Amino acid sequence: MSGIAEEIKASVMGAEPVEVSYPEKGYHCALETSPDKLPDIVRLFDEKRFYLECLLCTDYTDYLELVYLFNTHLSPCRVKVTLKVDPQQPVAPSMSSIYASAYWYEREIHEFYGVLFTGHPNMTYLFLHNDIHDYPLRKGKVPVPPEDKERLDSFKPGEQEDTFFINLGPQHPSTHGVLRVVLKMDGEYIEQAEPVLGYLHRMHEKMAENRSYQQFLPNTGRMDYLGPMSFNLGYVLAVERLCAISVPDRAIFVRIIATELNRICSHLLWVGAYLADLGALTPFLFVFDDREQIQDVLEGITGSRLTYCYFRFGGLYNDVDDQFIAGTKAFVKRMWGRFSLYEKLVTGNVIFVNRTKGIGTITGEQARKYGVAGPVLRSAGIACDLRKVESYSAYNEMEFNIPVGEHGDALDTYKIRIAEMENSLRIIEQALAKLPGGPFMAEKVPKKLKPPRGDIYQVVETPRGELGIYIVSDESDRPLRMKWRVPSFSNLMIFPELARGMLLADAVAILGSLDLVIPEIDR
Amino acid sequence: MGERGFHLEKEIIPVKFAMVEKVLDLARANSLWPVTFGLACCAIEMMSTSMSRFDIDRFGAGVFRASPRQADFMIVTGTVTKKMAPVLTTLYEQMPSPKWVIAMGNCAISGGPFVFEGQYNIVEGVDLLVPVDVYVPGCPPRPEALLEGLLKLEEKITGTRRFPRVESA
Repeated sequence: MSGIAEEIKASVMGAEPVEVSYPEKGYHCALETSPDKLPDIVRLFDEKRFYLECLLCTDYTDYLELVYLFNTHLSPCRVKVTLKVDPQQPVAPSMSSIYASAYWYEREIHEFYGVLFTGHPNMTYLFLHNDIHDYPLRKGKVPVPPEDKERLDSFKPGEQEDTFFINLGPQHPSTHGVLRVVLKMDGEYIEQAEPVLGYLHRMHEKMAENRSYQQFLPNTGRMDYLGPMSFNLGYVLAVERLCAISVPDRAIFVRIIATELNRICSHLLWVGAYLADLGALTPFLFVFDDREQIQDVLEGITGSRLTYCYFRFGGLYNDVDDQFIAGTKAFVKRMWGRFSLYEKLVTGNVIFVNRTKGIGTITGEQARKYGVAGPVLRSAGIACDLRKVESYSAYNEMEFNIPVGEHGDALDTYKIRIAEMENSLRIIEQALAKLPGGPFMAEKVPKKLKPPRGDIYQVVETPRGELGIYIVSDESDRPLRMKWRVPSFSNLMIFPELARGMLLADAVAILGSLDLVIPEIDR
Repeated sequence: MGERGFHLEKEIIPVKFAMVEKVLDLARANSLWPVTFGLACCAIEMMSTSMSRFDIDRFGAGVFRASPRQADFMIVTGTVTKKMAPVLTTLYEQMPSPKWVIAMGNCAISGGPFVFEGQYNIVEGVDLLVPVDVYVPGCPPRPEALLEGLLKLEEKITGTRRFPRVESA
């Protein structure tokens, strides 16, 4: 917190930023603004080298509220800028010319709430399709007016001289799910890439508003099925923060162990899948062997192999046993010996290196403009790992490094993920050594949670990067709004820029290096 | 979209070579090629099934084809959204006959956990789009369950079960 409130006050006439308690809210400063002042404020943040962390909308029935969250990478200073919009004529100025990531968030809000962003170049469907007649996330029944429907449906790839369009996906092995990218090709080179999302939009945010806090827990594991522990953790941390529930030490450490095991699991799958994209199927078989060991260990305590729902508000579903601890130790020992194998099999492989070196190079400035996160951000040389920068649980008691890249290319993301697995092993070893006894669940957690009125923003570092959960409570037993700022979405945003001018085969290498999980993007 | 559980019209074959068909069925059942079609969480379990430990290749079904035109059956692994529905139908139609479908996971069977009042984006069961031969429940189903589903499909094709069923103790 470096006096950003004073700076805003000095630079923008009439702005009144309020400093808030970070431990309670998850952000440092709040500021309410009007549409005419918004561009100045956003430009100020751009000058101060903030990145647009998230842009979301909440329907309070009487008015719509746009929330812009800005943050800096290395010293967390999160500012919440809010803008009230009339629900009858929802119009707001577009910020997409200042922040590239706003381009995507604004499209999302337009689809789900009907807010029209003036000056936005492309307000067509991103997630939804033209069979939807009401804005899905509005509280009342608000039909989509015909002129807006026409605007939404206006994206038509058309033939032009010398170029043609091809669809990558939605059924394509290298998209790891159901992502569709419309590519405008000039021969073998990509002129323009336009991702089309929503082939797996499962309405998580709508569901959150329709059920109690506990009932939503299993959804979190299904959002990102490769890193369900991190999503679980983020959600329980957010609700615990909102309701001021304290968690016993044993639970905190078990959470760390489980999350880190899951992180290794996720990175392993990425290594296998990415190399399969590049044409090497053998590593796939090796990584699944390792993955199965982790899944055995985690299955013992959680009861499931993939979509875990292990954490509860105030603790855990059940305590870990000796078998888990012995299994984890055995796995850690085994895994330390496996890196040399991957080194021999993959890292030194000349085909792999030639296909990934210098491909999809990201600069620090690009990373900021698009708000990319996780290993992709760190490959650009920015040592931002939320476990360290904005520590949660007991990560500040752990000793580990933040591996960063030198060139920002796809090869760097590979090296970073391998190094992260090593660091995760270190964290697991420390957590096992420190694992305290005692209860695994807080006493007196109410069956029916009714958090006090207010909002909260909680971040965690998932295997793919920054996950932010924004919850608005209206004192009832279900949230008024729950927004998930997911890392894959912001990582995908940068893909069109990286793919421009590349060969089609290289685009697959870039897409793979971003480590996308589609249900997480689509939510 | 048709009603739940509809069937395609039976093909009319003027001459039937009973023995030849049986031999062909045996051949088909022992080398079922699935189309690589991952939708959601269940796709990861499908990958697990085809990888080191569970090794679906033991049953001749490990040749995942990226093109539906080379595939015998489709494993629908995950939630089918309304946006995805036409794509899925196209994929099914592109597969050459005879073809089969396994609905893997609760989402593909009935919409699973994503069915609630006012839902606007998912198809509540893939059998509303294409005929389904085998249903494998679970969220997600274990790899063993998918293998059992595969054996069930073989049984459907040939009329006999390849391995004796393991009775639970």
